[in-house]
Amino acid sequence: MTIRSLWSGSSQSRTRRTRTVMIALMLLLVAALLVSLDTGYIRMSPVEVVRTFAGAGSTEDELALYSFRLPRLLIAVLLGVGLAVSGCVLQGVSRNALADPGILGINAGAGLVVMLFTFLYPTNDAVPTWLLPCLAFVGGGFAGWLTYALSYRHGGVSPVRLVLSGVAVAAGIDAAMIVLTVRLSPDRYQFVSEWLAGSILGSSWAFVLALLPWLLVLLPFVYSQAAVLNVLNLGEEMAAGLGIRVERARIRLLAGAVGLAASAVAVGGAISFVGLIAPHLARRLVGSNHQSLLPASALVGGLLVLVADTIGRTVLQPSEIPTGIVVAVVGAPYFLYLLARSET
Amino acid sequence: MDRLTARGVAIGYGGALIVQDLNLTIPTGKVTALVGPNGSGKSTVLKTLARILRPQAGEVILDGKAIHAQPTREVAKKLAILPQNPSAPEGLTVAELVAYGRFPHRRGLTLTPSDRRVITSVLELTGMDPFADRPVDALSGGQRQRAWIAMALAQETDILFLDEPTSFLDITYQLEILQLLRRLNRDHNRTIVMVVHDLNLASRYADHMVVLKSGRVVTEGAPKAVIRREVLRDVFGVEADIVADPRTGVPLCLPFDLAAGAGQASVHPAPSEAESLDALEAAEGGVR
Repeated sequence: MTIRSLWSGSSQSRTRRTRTVMIALMLLLVAALLVSLDTGYIRMSPVEVVRTFAGAGSTEDELALYSFRLPRLLIAVLLGVGLAVSGCVLQGVSRNALADPGILGINAGAGLVVMLFTFLYPTNDAVPTWLLPCLAFVGGGFAGWLTYALSYRHGGVSPVRLVLSGVAVAAGIDAAMIVLTVRLSPDRYQFVSEWLAGSILGSSWAFVLALLPWLLVLLPFVYSQAAVLNVLNLGEEMAAGLGIRVERARIRLLAGAVGLAASAVAVGGAISFVGLIAPHLARRLVGSNHQSLLPASALVGGLLVLVADTIGRTVLQPSEIPTGIVVAVVGAPYFLYLLARSET
Repeated sequence: MDRLTARGVAIGYGGALIVQDLNLTIPTGKVTALVGPNGSGKSTVLKTLARILRPQAGEVILDGKAIHAQPTREVAKKLAILPQNPSAPEGLTVAELVAYGRFPHRRGLTLTPSDRRVITSVLELTGMDPFADRPVDALSGGQRQRAWIAMALAQETDILFLDEPTSFLDITYQLEILQLLRRLNRDHNRTIVMVVHDLNLASRYADHMVVLKSGRVVTEGAPKAVIRREVLRDVFGVEADIVADPRTGVPLCLPFDLAAGAGQASVHPAPSEAESLDALEAAEGGVR
């Protein structure tokens, strides 16, 4: 739904190529959803899936589909959308192709606060789900600010410096989290370590409902700022000359990016690299104009996490590979490739 | 009426002041060139006049009101600035870049028919229409600069600021850009203010020159009043002959030595001041 609202708001100036790419991506996403609905611990044929949706399936199928599989798929897509758009905004604002909420420490900061909070609750079930994204926002915002402040030199932030500070901040926070996990009971430890590896644990509707409002507010907001992002991308002076209050616009957009990433992390754990890869692939497909780039990133991100999650659920059945690890298998080499290509 | 004035402006980064007590009026409808040696504050002054930098003291007045007190988006409809060496995101096409110039006029997410009309006309004006769908980063230096100028023109402002629009360009492209700017001034009535490194190009293409040294205006006026031996000696530290351009009569300088302050004596005999002025007037008579 969120994706559709982005799509219908698209500008008529978009070239035919962009439109084709968008349609292709949406078809791919639908296809991936259908495949993903069929696969899992309980196998279902497409026919059974359709029959269950029509209300004529077995009780077991109905339970698997509505209570487990559907919310999980939705979460996977929403997470991918949130992280990808967050990365796209961060890359635009910082004019830095290497920016990503994971690399800049935002995910780690969000994770730490969520984890600290879970200490206060005796069981996983007692944690009020809706509160998690709010807490994650605070933690992610703080970590993002720290990274930015550490890399600020002589009135500017160089791309590689930003990445180095981000990696340091993320590593520091990760270390803190590992120290904390030592103090956890074994079952809590299991929960937290899976979460850190980026496994989608919120496979219930409560998590969908906790994440959805953030996306419903932040995605249209960010999209409304597409022209501002475009102009910021031309450099600070150019943007100021075109009538933008650069500092304000930056803070506004960064807050949006942190909100998107943090709410995703609160629900899906530390899935890195989505915010890096998705905007890059999207840029290859539709170019640098954020009016097409933002929705294209959203689609690529949703598709990427959905496919990664499906692979993670199926290859080593009955156990699962955390989604974050599947993404990292592709993401880490891609990141190294981009780093090698960057000039500064 | 002159629309843009700086009054008692002081500009600095951190503690040190780069420009002090700057008083300057930009003549409307003319091409003004800011010249001066490296570190003289030309770019700083340009950015302050275009409200990119906020002065620490004094104010820049645009149409009777302090420029920083006006909404920046409204100012962006009155003046455009092209910074030095702007860089476009990878793969951005010329048409997309030029469309970004419509930013201050836009309200919704889509380009209006009037936006499109402006984009088409500035692409034609700058001769960039054949390259509209090319990525900016794949263009030659001169074409790229024209694409950026087209973007600034799409802003539809009466005043256009440019920071070294010809630096790093071959002589062909330098002339191409400067002739384009002159055409914009003469035929489209735009006020142009530019930082130019090359004194002779400035002299040839500007109506008004402002010479800066250490953040102060040393002298200003028509090229003929400004390009003088003493000015070159005091401001640039060079001894130069001033000759009249045989075609247009504008003064051109031919530096032949460092000024005495640099510790070297002049080895070339120089024609007297009177001789070079004669030459100037003769050339002028020849052209007009």
